[in-house]
Amino acid sequence: MVDRIFAGVLLIVTLAYAVIAFTAISAPFQYDPLGPESWPQILSVVAIACLLVILWKPDAIKMNVARQTWFRLAATVVMLAAYSELYEPLGFILSTILFGTALSAMLGAGILRSVIFGVAAGVGGYLFCVTLLDLNLPFGELVEWLFEPSSTEGAS
Amino acid sequence: MDAVISGLATGFGVALDPFNLFLVLAGCFLGTLIGALPGLGPINGVAILLPIAYGLGFGPESALILLAGIYYGAEYGGRISSILLNVPGDASAVMTTLDGNPMARGGDAGRALSLSAIASFVGGTFAVILLSLFAPLLASFAVTFSPADYVALMVFAFASLASLVGRSTVKTLLGAVIGLMLATIGIDANTGVPRFTFGIPDILAGIDFLIVVVGLFGMAELLTLVEQQVSGKLKSLPVDKSFVKMADLVKCKWTIVRSSIIGFFIGILPGTGASVASAVAYGTEKRINDDEKTFGTGDVRGLAAPEAANNAAAGGAMVPMLTLGIPGSGTTAILLGALLMFNIQPGPMMFTQRPEVAWGLIASMYIGNVALLVINLPLVGLFARMLTIPQHYLTPLIAILAFIGIYTIVGNPFDLLLITGLGVFGWFLRKLDFSLAPVILGFVLGSLFENNLRRALSISGGDWSILVQDYKSVTLYVLAVLVVIAPIWLARRARRMEGDATSRG
Repeated sequence: MVDRIFAGVLLIVTLAYAVIAFTAISAPFQYDPLGPESWPQILSVVAIACLLVILWKPDAIKMNVARQTWFRLAATVVMLAAYSELYEPLGFILSTILFGTALSAMLGAGILRSVIFGVAAGVGGYLFCVTLLDLNLPFGELVEWLFEPSSTEGAS
Repeated sequence: MDAVISGLATGFGVALDPFNLFLVLAGCFLGTLIGALPGLGPINGVAILLPIAYGLGFGPESALILLAGIYYGAEYGGRISSILLNVPGDASAVMTTLDGNPMARGGDAGRALSLSAIASFVGGTFAVILLSLFAPLLASFAVTFSPADYVALMVFAFASLASLVGRSTVKTLLGAVIGLMLATIGIDANTGVPRFTFGIPDILAGIDFLIVVVGLFGMAELLTLVEQQVSGKLKSLPVDKSFVKMADLVKCKWTIVRSSIIGFFIGILPGTGASVASAVAYGTEKRINDDEKTFGTGDVRGLAAPEAANNAAAGGAMVPMLTLGIPGSGTTAILLGALLMFNIQPGPMMFTQRPEVAWGLIASMYIGNVALLVINLPLVGLFARMLTIPQHYLTPLIAILAFIGIYTIVGNPFDLLLITGLGVFGWFLRKLDFSLAPVILGFVLGSLFENNLRRALSISGGDWSILVQDYKSVTLYVLAVLVVIAPIWLARRARRMEGDATSRG
């Protein structure tokens, strides 16, 4: 069943891909006999054939994921999305402290230990990557503003 | 032969440079640490660390040496969690658990670990020696390949991938096609026509390889860890003082030799990596040696076989990657992508155009093997400690590393969302028994496949029969058909023989 749903969704995407490949893509002038559209056309035909076989004979029946696990997974994805949204505004240190604490707390570490882990990962990670490895991580617009309000105002 | 010796001399010149030597050691050490983490296999380790290694701004040969060290080390480290925890880091380590874990439970953990380190060393070294002999030969032959031959080679690669990897042929094929389709996004290099970009400027140049790799492997792995997270810690068996005995080595000397050969040649087959090799080697040894039914209960030979094969395959997988530009496994596909990021086109010309990269990599594998043996025998207790890192710290750490890697390379917060999305997609694929290696292979090979097909048809002026005119391409198509049919035929024969046996008995 799950297989069929997944294959069905992929089939819709692939059909859209095929429609674009067969109608929209064309070169104004071209030197090679295939052009930019033939290869996607071939691929879409093969993909649709594979998907039809899966729809015809699915082999995964159930996902075998408990309801509680679904919640945990959804929460993880939400946290990841929030982490990516806050990465630049809050800066690496703050966002990592928040993310590290929240995720490790959800996965079963004690509150105090999660906070320690979060702070260690945020501050330690920043110092390690920026000073030692010379990588480029966001310092954070908010943090910058807090520390040096005058300079940011001056810049803007 | 002269070419090999002078090549090796160049290579060791590069690899023995103090900085590169340090990178080999650091990579091996880091790789072993990552491989030892429960549930994290070589492919995930390389995927998560690739952007960071790229972001450090080393030269191509140094970055590649570091990555290869990580890859190698992770193959080594994988056995630690297999033996002590009975949790394989990836598919290739599954066979190691069969006899390794019973040995550790029987109080021979130290013996099992040291034996597997030696078996890995022999397998790995054997593969590197063959690699340095074969690779230049194959490269000089591959120079004569025409675009049509390359198309045949790709068909062969995908055929062997579909028939040997994963549980379902159709799903593996579909995975590869998904990868190929992802690769078509962006501006077509030949005509400048944008394809599937929907006017979004970010993807005009195509989806970044790093994003696909980190998303599909790193983030999907993270979600799998969250899903499988069990309450309560995994119990790790203690590492004792026992050590491998001479008698063990004598007992499995031929096992190691046979498994190394099997591993290397299966590793060469494009698309099939260490997982198939270790399974075949274990199966072969079981058929030859299992007279007393000791396999699966802690037989030293059952431990040595997959370990030797696994590391030999890791070396073997480098052969098609370096000489043909077609990776032999998911992890080498990532290394190939790394080369492309440095504007080096792997393939037959690499040995003549960029000898310092090709040979430097090979030489670093010699050094890496020795280094791993030296690191692993005394420090195995330290690595075993890694097993006790609780999952609730490990999981956030993977996300933080992946984010650092992607942000430092691309510097665009939108890409962080993109890897999360790809991670969810990859998790679904894994959950539904698709393997992810074909996707990444398809993605890496996409433009090569398409360009060679178009070049071939340009030469013939649109006549498709050019694809089957050369003996080389015809041979490859025959091989492709064989590699698909042979397993089906063998399975059917095995079933028939079983049927005979039961009906008679």
